[in-house]
Amino acid sequence: MDTTAVLERLREVMRRSAQKTLDWEHLDADTPIDALGFDSLAILDLLYDIQQAFGVSFEPEDLMKVQTVRDLAEFLGRRTA
Amino acid sequence: MHRVAITGAGVLVPPDLDETALWETLAGGGSVFRRLRALDTEGYRTRNGAELDDGALAAARRAAALEPADRTSDILMLAARRALDEAGNPPGEGMGALVGTGHGAAFNLAAAYAGYFEKGHRGPRPSSVPRSMANTLSARLSMELGLTGPNYVTVAACASSTTALIQACRMIRHGYARRILCGGVETPFEPVYFSAWDNLRVMSPAADPAAACRPFDRNRNGFLLGEGAGALVLEAREEALARGARVRGELVGVGEASDATHITRPDPAGQARAMQAALDDAGLTPADIGFINAHGTATRVSDPCEAKSVRTVFGARADSLPVTANKACFGHLLGASGIVEAVVTLLSLEHGAVPPTASLAERDPECPLHIVRRRPAPLDIPCGMSNSFAFGGNNAVLILRA
Repeated sequence: MDTTAVLERLREVMRRSAQKTLDWEHLDADTPIDALGFDSLAILDLLYDIQQAFGVSFEPEDLMKVQTVRDLAEFLGRRTA
Repeated sequence: MHRVAITGAGVLVPPDLDETALWETLAGGGSVFRRLRALDTEGYRTRNGAELDDGALAAARRAAALEPADRTSDILMLAARRALDEAGNPPGEGMGALVGTGHGAAFNLAAAYAGYFEKGHRGPRPSSVPRSMANTLSARLSMELGLTGPNYVTVAACASSTTALIQACRMIRHGYARRILCGGVETPFEPVYFSAWDNLRVMSPAADPAAACRPFDRNRNGFLLGEGAGALVLEAREEALARGARVRGELVGVGEASDATHITRPDPAGQARAMQAALDDAGLTPADIGFINAHGTATRVSDPCEAKSVRTVFGARADSLPVTANKACFGHLLGASGIVEAVVTLLSLEHGAVPPTASLAERDPECPLHIVRRRPAPLDIPCGMSNSFAFGGNNAVLILRA
């Protein structure tokens, strides 16, 4: 899956996981994930939802270098390659 | 010791009844059962129940601008908001939130189990713990309504919300809290939970929803379950008067006692002890009680047991004491039944009338009580007793006065 396709899918997963009104359609890929309003509990659910949606398995520690939505998409692109 | 005033009440009873509509239905001898739609009951022994209407629930959420979380806590929130609105939305500072429920957030719990069984140990969502813990219900009330007093859940099966009211009453009397929002909620049509009830064979298998649940009737054969919530705002009477709140009634006596015999079979001695404890607590005698809102579950075993315990406590007064059973109207709300029936007890005091027991056709000589039927009975003494007797043998009794 290329990064654009991953980004598209990731947006949808994040939108559903967060269950709150954010302008996900216009979400900039360079937005820091920290700025999206997921708290420490919601981020665990988000990682769960991402793993379910993409059929991959990883530990939160694997995401040490992931800062932005694009970083996350690239990470998932590698994992699903 | 502070007197305990009731300043707000709210219910959400199937299909979408508020307090006013509920009273009209009860007083008219109606009931709200239907063939269940929440789940496919093909092959089930019992296929009827009292369930909230999905469309009405969605509309109620929108009207209250409630951010949906899960069915159980949403229903509770809607009833709680009604109670607080009626109480004039007193400040949440120091207000407690005590909630009674039998099974709690049933759908969230089921989702966690489904995750495990479908996907293994990585299956349950990480937030399954806070979403499905029993006290998720009181926690939501506290967080969303800004209630900073204690919040927790009391669990005693069918006496759960009665127990919450008893705790709240004692806390207010003795100054541990000035104001408490009490709630009760149950969503028994989650498929695993409902299947287990079906297999327990305590629900009526009758095909006709309107004639199935018949407390104290000679031909009764079990109850039907109901989904819903109730809420009451209790506060120290002088606090309520000082802020100009309307005092609708008082909780004047509470009593509880365990059977200490069997997990499901009730025992008249335990029930009688709880009723007597409530009378003693209120400083009242049987002659001071105007009517009883019975536990009345319509099982073969339970109703004669309650008749026996009432006669033990009330003696000859039981010949003329009006007794009614709300479960004939909206079914067994399990953990929520005590608080919803307490609201009905309050309404009876306000209307000066004891609503009839819907569907009671033929009195049972094994239940020698004066069961009100067909039309409301006038209430001469503005004081009512409301009984809740639980699986587990916990008996919880309230006495309310206008």
